[in-house]
Amino acid sequence: MNLFRSEEHARRWSQFNPASEEGFIALPDLADFFGTETRQHMLDANYLSVWYPRRAAERRAVLERIGKTSPFWLGTPAPA
Amino acid sequence: MAEPRLLDLMFSRIMRGLVESGRAPHYAELAPGLGLTVEDSRRLLGELMQAYPIGWLHPETDYVASFPPLNNLPTQYRITVRGEQKWFAQCGFEATSVTWLFPETTVRIEAPCLDCGDPVRVDMRDGRLITVDPPSIVGHLNYGFGPSRGRPSYL
Repeated sequence: MNLFRSEEHARRWSQFNPASEEGFIALPDLADFFGTETRQHMLDANYLSVWYPRRAAERRAVLERIGKTSPFWLGTPAPA
Repeated sequence: MAEPRLLDLMFSRIMRGLVESGRAPHYAELAPGLGLTVEDSRRLLGELMQAYPIGWLHPETDYVASFPPLNNLPTQYRITVRGEQKWFAQCGFEATSVTWLFPETTVRIEAPCLDCGDPVRVDMRDGRLITVDPPSIVGHLNYGFGPSRGRPSYL
């Protein structure tokens, strides 16, 4: 889960996984993905019990909105 | 299983400790404020990390290594706030979330590109991207999310 100067730089990275072509995300989308409502409550006294459990559904909603609905992004098993 | 109130309290003390000092407090430091013995604080830390599995302890220890979005163990993702660089993000993705720990403040993310070593720099404020240098910066997930990925989650 890294930041690169460009897609070309990521592809030239010595550890680039050839199966990760769909792993690119534009920076504004990334800021949305990691800027959901629960993230804005990380300093709240009840973050762990109240906000953290909502995180998974929220992440999925963002991924669906930005069109990243493959198992690679959603974390679901790939079709056999 | 510990009371949710205690887990919340320890979580909050660790997160705020990281924000204030750049390092996660040790469980022994946390014990008095939590009203616990040192050993009970150590056990609570273990439960906390199970409840917050996106962070982790250094293997074979009770030392907090990662407590996202920040990392207690330095990474290449350096975070600077008010001219002070004393924080590290867990990964490039979590780095974009650090802005929420410093409200109404500009947060700078700097890292060397893993391909060429040249700098990647992003300034954010309250979730907004202020500076992106170079403008072509992208995020990249090298292994898919989920348990089937078979790789550490930060890669």
